[in-house]
Amino acid sequence: MPDKIKKFLSSGTLFVWFCGTAVAASLLMVGGVLLLIMINGLGFFWPHALMELTLRDGTRVLGELKGEEVIPHSETPEFPEGKTRVRLKVGNRDLYGLDFRWVDTDQIALADSPKDVAAFERREWGNFYGRIREIAKGEDVVATGNQEGWKALQPLIEWANDLHDEIEHLQRDVIGDINFDIEETRLRIRELELRAQRESPEVAELQAVTRQLEAHYQKHVATLRALSRQLDEYSVLLVETNGREKRLPVGQIVKALRPNDMGLFEKILRYFMNFWSVLSEEPREANTEGGIFPAIFGTVMMVLIMSVAVVPFGVLAAFYLREYARQGLIVRVIRIAVNNLAGVPSIVFGVFGLGFFVYAVGGTIDTLFYPEALPTPTFGTGGILWASFTLALLTVPVVIVSTEEGLSAVPREYREGSLALGATKFESMLRVILPCALPGILTGLILAVARATGEVAPLMLTGVVKLAPALPLDHHFPFLHFERKFMHLGFHIFDVGFQSPNVEAAKPMVYVTTLILVMVVIVLNLSAVAIRNHMRKKFKASAV
Amino acid sequence: MGQFAFANVRSRLCGNRMVILSFLFLAISIGSSVQSWAASDSMVDPAWKDYEQVSGVSGNLNSIGSDTLNNLMTLWAEGFRKEYPNVKIQIEGKGSSTAPPALIEGTAQLGPMSRQMKAKEMDKFEAKFGYKATSFPVAVDALAVYVNKDNPVKCMSMEEVDAAFSKTRRRGHSVDVNTWGKAGLDGNWKSTRVSLYGRNSASGTYGFFKKTVLKKGDYKDEVKEQPGSASVVQGVTEDRGGLGYSGIGYRTSGVRAIPLSAKSGEGCYEPTFTNASAGKYPLARFLYLYVNKAPGKPLPPLVAQFLTYVYSKAGQHIVIKDGYFPLPQTLITKKLGEM
Repeated sequence: MPDKIKKFLSSGTLFVWFCGTAVAASLLMVGGVLLLIMINGLGFFWPHALMELTLRDGTRVLGELKGEEVIPHSETPEFPEGKTRVRLKVGNRDLYGLDFRWVDTDQIALADSPKDVAAFERREWGNFYGRIREIAKGEDVVATGNQEGWKALQPLIEWANDLHDEIEHLQRDVIGDINFDIEETRLRIRELELRAQRESPEVAELQAVTRQLEAHYQKHVATLRALSRQLDEYSVLLVETNGREKRLPVGQIVKALRPNDMGLFEKILRYFMNFWSVLSEEPREANTEGGIFPAIFGTVMMVLIMSVAVVPFGVLAAFYLREYARQGLIVRVIRIAVNNLAGVPSIVFGVFGLGFFVYAVGGTIDTLFYPEALPTPTFGTGGILWASFTLALLTVPVVIVSTEEGLSAVPREYREGSLALGATKFESMLRVILPCALPGILTGLILAVARATGEVAPLMLTGVVKLAPALPLDHHFPFLHFERKFMHLGFHIFDVGFQSPNVEAAKPMVYVTTLILVMVVIVLNLSAVAIRNHMRKKFKASAV
Repeated sequence: MGQFAFANVRSRLCGNRMVILSFLFLAISIGSSVQSWAASDSMVDPAWKDYEQVSGVSGNLNSIGSDTLNNLMTLWAEGFRKEYPNVKIQIEGKGSSTAPPALIEGTAQLGPMSRQMKAKEMDKFEAKFGYKATSFPVAVDALAVYVNKDNPVKCMSMEEVDAAFSKTRRRGHSVDVNTWGKAGLDGNWKSTRVSLYGRNSASGTYGFFKKTVLKKGDYKDEVKEQPGSASVVQGVTEDRGGLGYSGIGYRTSGVRAIPLSAKSGEGCYEPTFTNASAGKYPLARFLYLYVNKAPGKPLPPLVAQFLTYVYSKAGQHIVIKDGYFPLPQTLITKKLGEM
C-alpha cells in the first residue's frame, strides 16, 4: 500500500491535478467577475417594463421593478418564510425627493402594467414616470389627453433634440473657435506687454482683432439665446400616477418611451440605441447621467501617449543592460532595482509625478515658455502629458524585463552570423536582433497597457478631473493639447460610485463604465496581440 | 451648542460670521410643510433673483477644493457655461484642505470648502497677500446620521451618537452604545451590534463630525472609514445594524436619516430644511466658496459673475437639486453687497 502511494506521488499526477485546479480557480474568478459586471451592466440599457401598483391605502406607485427581498425577522405563523418587499425605481425626483422606494408586498392590493404609461428621460432631475395631460405652445393648448399628447409629443422631442444639436454645435464648434482665437490673441498681447512693447503697433492691431472677435461672439450668443427661447416654446404637462402635475418644456425631455407597449424587436433596437448613446454622448448632471464618451477618449488617448513614451525608454534600457553593459555586480543590482520598481505602490509614482513632472518640470516650462499665461499655469498643473509620463514610469519595469527576455531568446548563431558577415555590432543589433526581439517588446507593451488602463490613484494627482471642458485632441493647432486635463474611465467609476449624491440611481452607471473599461483593455490588448502575432510569423525564430 | 445650530460657524472671523448668522435666523420664514425635503418647492425663496447675463465675461476658471462640493460645483459649472459658452471651468475636488494652497499659489480662483479655513491656513494666505481670503457661504448642508431602513430607532441624542462613535465619550454619556439595545431598542434589535461607518481622516466631514459631535474626542477603532460620502450610505444600506454619518444630499431609499436632539431629553428634529435653517437640527453647516479678494478692489469679473450665478434663482435651484439646502435671499443680498 505505501508503495502505491509512493509511486503515485513520484509519478507527478498529483502535481498535474494541483496545476489544473489552480488554472480552473483563476478562470472561475475572472469569469465570475466578468459575469457580475455584465449582469449588472448590460441590463442597464434594456427598456424595463413599468409596474403600476395600487396599495391598500388607495395610493398608487408607478415605476420599474428593481428587486425583491425578504424582510429580516418578519416570520409569522402565516408567513413562515417571512414577508417580502419590493424595490421600485419611481423616478420623479423633483416631486418625491428620492428615485427609489420600497413597498411591502402585503400592502399591494393590485399590480398592473398598463400600456399607456411612459418613461420620460429628462435633462435634469432624472426620469419621470407617468402620463401626459396636455401639450401647450405658449398659452395655447395643442393637444390634450394621454393618447393625443403622446402622438403630438414624439415629433416635438425630435425637433427639440435637433435644436439641442444645433445649440451644441454653435457652442462647441463655432463659439469654441472664437474663444480659442480670443485666448490666443490675449496671450499674444500679454507676451508683447511682458517684453515691454506695450506701445507697439502690433498690440493695437491685436486689440482690434479681439474687438472684432468679440463682436462675432456677441452675434452668435444672440442666436444661441434665440434658439434657447425656442426650446421653451412648447411645454408638456405631465401627471404622475397619483395625479400630481408637473409642467416642463419639451426641450427638457431627451426621449420618451412606453416600454409596456413595445415589442421584443423594438426593445432590442432600443437596447442598442441606448448602448450607443452611452458610448457617444457627453455626461450630464455631474456625470450621473448621459454618456461617457470623454472618459473613453481620455483613457485611450492617455494609454497611447504612455505607450509612445514607455517603449523607447524601456527598450533602450534593456538593450544596454543585455547587450552592452558588462555583466557584473552593478548590472545585477540595477536589474534587482528595476524589478523592485514594479512593486512600488502606484500612488507613490503619483506623488513623484506631481512633485517632479507637474511642479518641477511643468513649473519651469511655464516660467520659460508661457510667462504670458501666468499666474494660470499651463504645464505647471496636472495634464494628460504628465499623467501619461507618470504611468510610463510605472510600467517601464515591465517593458524592460520582457524586452530582456526577448533579447535573451535570440539565438547566438544569429549574432555571430551577422558579425561574421561584417556587420558592426550596432548594425547587427538594428537589423537582426531588434526584429527578433520585437515580439518580446510587444509582450511587454501589452502588459504595460493592461496595467496602465486600470490605474487610477496616480492619475488623480497628475491630471484627471471629474469633468473636463474640452477633449485633449481637436482641430486647433497643435491638435494634440498635452497640457489639458482629461477624463478617465477608472476615475469615472470612483467618482460616480463613491462621490455621487444619488448613489442608488448611479449604480448601474458604475457597472456600465466598468464594463466599457474592461472592453477598452481587451480591445487595446487584442490589437497589440494581433501585431505581435504578425511579427512572430515574420521572424519565426524568436521563442518569446 | 444648544439652540445655535450653526455654532461651528461662530469661530475665528467672528464679526462677519455673526452677521451671517443673524441674517440667516431673520430670514427663516419659508417652508412650513412637513414634507419639506421631498417637495423642493418649500425651500424656494420667492425673493431669489433671475440671473442676468452681462457682456465681456470670458476666460478660464479653476476650482480646487472640497469633494463634498464637487458635484455642486460641476452642476453650477454646467449651468454657468450655458450662460457663457466662452468660459472654461475646470473642477478638482480632492478635499477641503487642497483649497487654501491652490488659492495661495494662484492655481485656482475658486476654493470650495466644506469647512472654514483653519487659522494656520488663513495665516499662510495673509502672509502671501497681506489680507485674508474672503469666504462666501453658498449652501447649507445638514450632516445626517443614517441607520438602515429597517432600524426602528426614533431619535438619538448627541450624547448617544457620541457614545456610539467615540471611545472618549466627551459628551459624558454613561455607557458605551455598542448595541442597539443601549440606544433604546427592544426585541431582536436589543443584542444587535452597532456597526459604525465614517469618513476617512482627509475629509472635511470627518473633521466636522469629530469637532461638533465628539467634541474633539477620538473615534473608536472599529469605525469603518469610507473613501466617499456615498459609500457610507452604501455601507449602512447593506448592514442591518449600521450607523453612519454623511451629508443629507446622499440620502437613498436604503437608509433613514434619524432625528437628533441636541441634548438628551430635549426635542428631536429631523434633518429637514425647516429644522436646519431654524437652527433646531444640531448638525447643520455652511458650505463655502473661498476667493482671493483684495480689500477695496472688486473681484475679477469672471469670479464675480460665477458667484452671482450661484446666488441667483438658477444657482440655488441647483443646490436643491443636489440635495442640499439653499440660502435665503436676505443673506444673499448681504453677500452680494460685499462683492
